Amino acid sequence: MTDPTHTPEDDRALAGELALRLLSPEDERAARAREASDPAFAAEVQAWNAHLAAFAAEVRSVEPSGAVWARLQAVIAPVANDNGRVGFWRSWAIGSTGLLAASLVAVAVLIARPAPTPVVEQPQAPAGGVTRVATLTLSEGGGQAMILAYDTVTGNLFIAADSSMASAQGVPHLWLVKPEGGVQLVGAIAGEGVSRQSLSAALASQAGTATAVAVSLEAPGHTPAADKPDGPVVASGELQQL
Amino acid sequence: MGLMLTRDELAVALVQAGQGDRSAFRTVYEATSAKLFGVCLRILPDRQTAEDVLQDTYVTVWRKAATFDASRASPITWLVTIARNRSIDRLRSAAPMRNAAPVEDAHDLADAGPLASDTVEQADEAARLNGCLETLEDKARAVIRTAFFEGATYDELAKRENVPLGTMKSWIRRGLMRLRSCLEA
Repeated sequence: MTDPTHTPEDDRALAGELALRLLSPEDERAARAREASDPAFAAEVQAWNAHLAAFAAEVRSVEPSGAVWARLQAVIAPVANDNGRVGFWRSWAIGSTGLLAASLVAVAVLIARPAPTPVVEQPQAPAGGVTRVATLTLSEGGGQAMILAYDTVTGNLFIAADSSMASAQGVPHLWLVKPEGGVQLVGAIAGEGVSRQSLSAALASQAGTATAVAVSLEAPGHTPAADKPDGPVVASGELQQL
Repeated sequence: MGLMLTRDELAVALVQAGQGDRSAFRTVYEATSAKLFGVCLRILPDRQTAEDVLQDTYVTVWRKAATFDASRASPITWLVTIARNRSIDRLRSAAPMRNAAPVEDAHDLADAGPLASDTVEQADEAARLNGCLETLEDKARAVIRTAFFEGATYDELAKRENVPLGTMKSWIRRGLMRLRSCLEA
């Protein structure tokens, strides 16, 4: 594919193979990289997509269940207009940022000190990062299911489940909705009360960029694949930055 | 449901959704979700998975609608491409268990539905695509259709048709080049 003798015809065929998704995983990766860096090639892929999309005229339309729109609504919902909830989070955040403010004062004092004294002590307060919060609502009925807060620096996750979750059949599992689409399993969570956990480094970085969170109910003892819940998605909510 | 929009109306709604307009996004969903769900169902093995992927598809549509350029792509092309690619990604991320129906059966399946085009423009484009497909050899036509409707790779198509990989590649490449020159003639 890096053969300098390739012709425009070869490119056009390759673009068609990429659009149709015929290529092996390795070849597809190479072709996608090419698409990302070569506008002429990207235009070829787009031209093929346009031609091939006409096949969709033959596809019979099928109405999806109403649950799809309900979940989508949860993902795109503007939490800022949710009277009360944001206020709650702000006051909660002020409480926790009190510690952060204290540590910032400590840093300011150290900086202001003129003498080149070695820094003898680190502030004890946890260094807070950006706090991300979500209010999860039930897929059915739209009632509040749980609230979640996540600190991007420490990887600490805080969850307060509503009583509405306690009666659920199955073990609640938390999922991150990735910005490019798709989901990533975080793990089983407590279905009631307040719980805290620390995310692994790999999960922590994903949690920092995730756009929403969702909860599925899985059969007891069953762990679903990391990218797809097996049980129903019962609650979801958009992640907001405080 | 089945909200009917012209291509231009759909393009406008998609652009507005890209500006954060939720009701425009709902319009896009209502006008296109049944079609896109049909696309997902063709590629994925069960309804639950197809609904998951449909949801992912519209999350992507919501996030990327701002990048939709009505002067460069038709809205339905843009949407179908996302739904089909997401479905294929999901199919390939799952276990390599595939229904290995011979291409002939799949071909019958593809023809089973009535030609239900949503707009006049789409019907025109579909007629042109099918007209050009008619100019290909039977084998090439059948495997190109299977590749589109089921998301099958070269490798899978070669195995299903019981021909060497190189043979499959040359059938399809030749078919694609011919198709393209016909479509743009």
